[in-house]
Amino acid sequence: MPEVILQIRNIHKRFDDQLVLNGINLDIHEKEVVSIIGSSGSGKTTLLRCLNLLNEPEDGQILFLGEDLMDPKVDLDHLRMRMGMVFQSFNLFNHQNVMENCIMAPISLLKMKKEDAIDKARLLLDKVGMLKFEHVPVTQLSGGQKQRVAIARALMMNPKIMLFDEPTSALDPEMVGEVLEVMKDLAKEGMTMVIVTHEMDFAKEVSHRIIFMDQGLIAESGTPDDIFKNPKEERTKAFLRRYAHERV
Amino acid sequence: MQIWTTIPPKDEFFNTILYLLDTYGSFFLRGVWITLLLSVIGTLGGFILSLFLTIMREQDIDHKRDSWIQIATKKLSKGFVRVYVTVFRGTPMIVQAMIFYYGIAPLKLSFWNPLVAGLTVVTLNTTAYIAEVIRSGINGIDKGQMEAARSLGFSKQQGMFKVVFPQAIKNSLPAIGNEFIVNLKDTAVLSVIGVFDLFKATQSATSSNYRPVEGFFIAAIIYLMLTFVTSKIVDHLEHQKPKVVNINA
Repeated sequence: MPEVILQIRNIHKRFDDQLVLNGINLDIHEKEVVSIIGSSGSGKTTLLRCLNLLNEPEDGQILFLGEDLMDPKVDLDHLRMRMGMVFQSFNLFNHQNVMENCIMAPISLLKMKKEDAIDKARLLLDKVGMLKFEHVPVTQLSGGQKQRVAIARALMMNPKIMLFDEPTSALDPEMVGEVLEVMKDLAKEGMTMVIVTHEMDFAKEVSHRIIFMDQGLIAESGTPDDIFKNPKEERTKAFLRRYAHERV
Repeated sequence: MQIWTTIPPKDEFFNTILYLLDTYGSFFLRGVWITLLLSVIGTLGGFILSLFLTIMREQDIDHKRDSWIQIATKKLSKGFVRVYVTVFRGTPMIVQAMIFYYGIAPLKLSFWNPLVAGLTVVTLNTTAYIAEVIRSGINGIDKGQMEAARSLGFSKQQGMFKVVFPQAIKNSLPAIGNEFIVNLKDTAVLSVIGVFDLFKATQSATSSNYRPVEGFFIAAIIYLMLTFVTSKIVDHLEHQKPKVVNINA
């Protein structure tokens, strides 16, 4: 069994009086691809955002590379450098062009030389098919292009794990494919990935493990075959039925 | 070369204007210069000081990670900014000028004179207004920008300086330009402490000959020219198109 690089121990999160995460336990292994599915409001996005403490749980532990992110004394910024995140709304830095988006963090946080950062960015932008856009201001890109740049930007920091928060939900249908292709390549290369998604076919194809969340809890988890072919829980079945129905 | 040896009769409006320009041209010129100086220094100085206020105001208190002394300092500086902005935006600049000029005069500081007092007041006043402008600029930036910065490992402060401020300030530039236009006009009140701006210059030029209407007509035209030209420049900056990069080049 490969090494566990992220351990979530009994985390709770509430917004005002609503309990969104109600005691989550989860281990993510190196090179593992885990997809989190569930209806909206089930807490899946909140769980993902808790993994790098963009949302801070009330209690519990989040152990990453042997350190507890919840420990106030831990250097959170330093640990976040090793966790890439891709957002539903891309969040590219709007005042910069594609290249500047990629090189700002490695230059100022990893003290990488500018020429080295540019070389590396060119490799990654080429990989996501965005090299010829390197000098384009990001505000001129389409959603699919933005998301591919966002993936390259996160990869610039050599993350140990990549977190994807519904990366294709804000895209026009014809652009979903180009982003999923990039993510598939990344999975093939052995990147550890946690993906919150509504793309069931993609989750089935790319994941080692599927987590189904319901009402702030992990209701069921297992291999794609377990979950999609032989779901045990009644609510998993109901969710998948509803989902298949909507998609017809 | 003096063309007018005596002042024209009362009913000769335009001749009176020419007479005033000819006789008191240097007054008006000096007044314009001082008005411009007050507005430029006030707006630039206000902009720089407002950045400090913004940094103080935008600090987040993290009850879990901050020491009590950090929390106390942050609360104090945030409170200071709130009071500062409320006081300077809530009182007339003419009142601020009186308090500063006559309040500091008894200290007998060698450099303290009406012009220095005027520059100080217009700067402190503009600081409060530009701080509010930048605050709304920051509120207009999607919070995903900061989240992306934090997710890469930037601290809150780095995210502010590298990601949020550059965008917020760029979006605020037209409003800051408007503050400059406001200053061109509103620095007229500083004449109350004896600053020789365009208003005071006009008063001086018309005090002995009792032709205030003609004199202030000249002042109005000059003010109008200053604000018109500046607003054209601000408009131009506001509507500047982002440069389009041709990827097929």
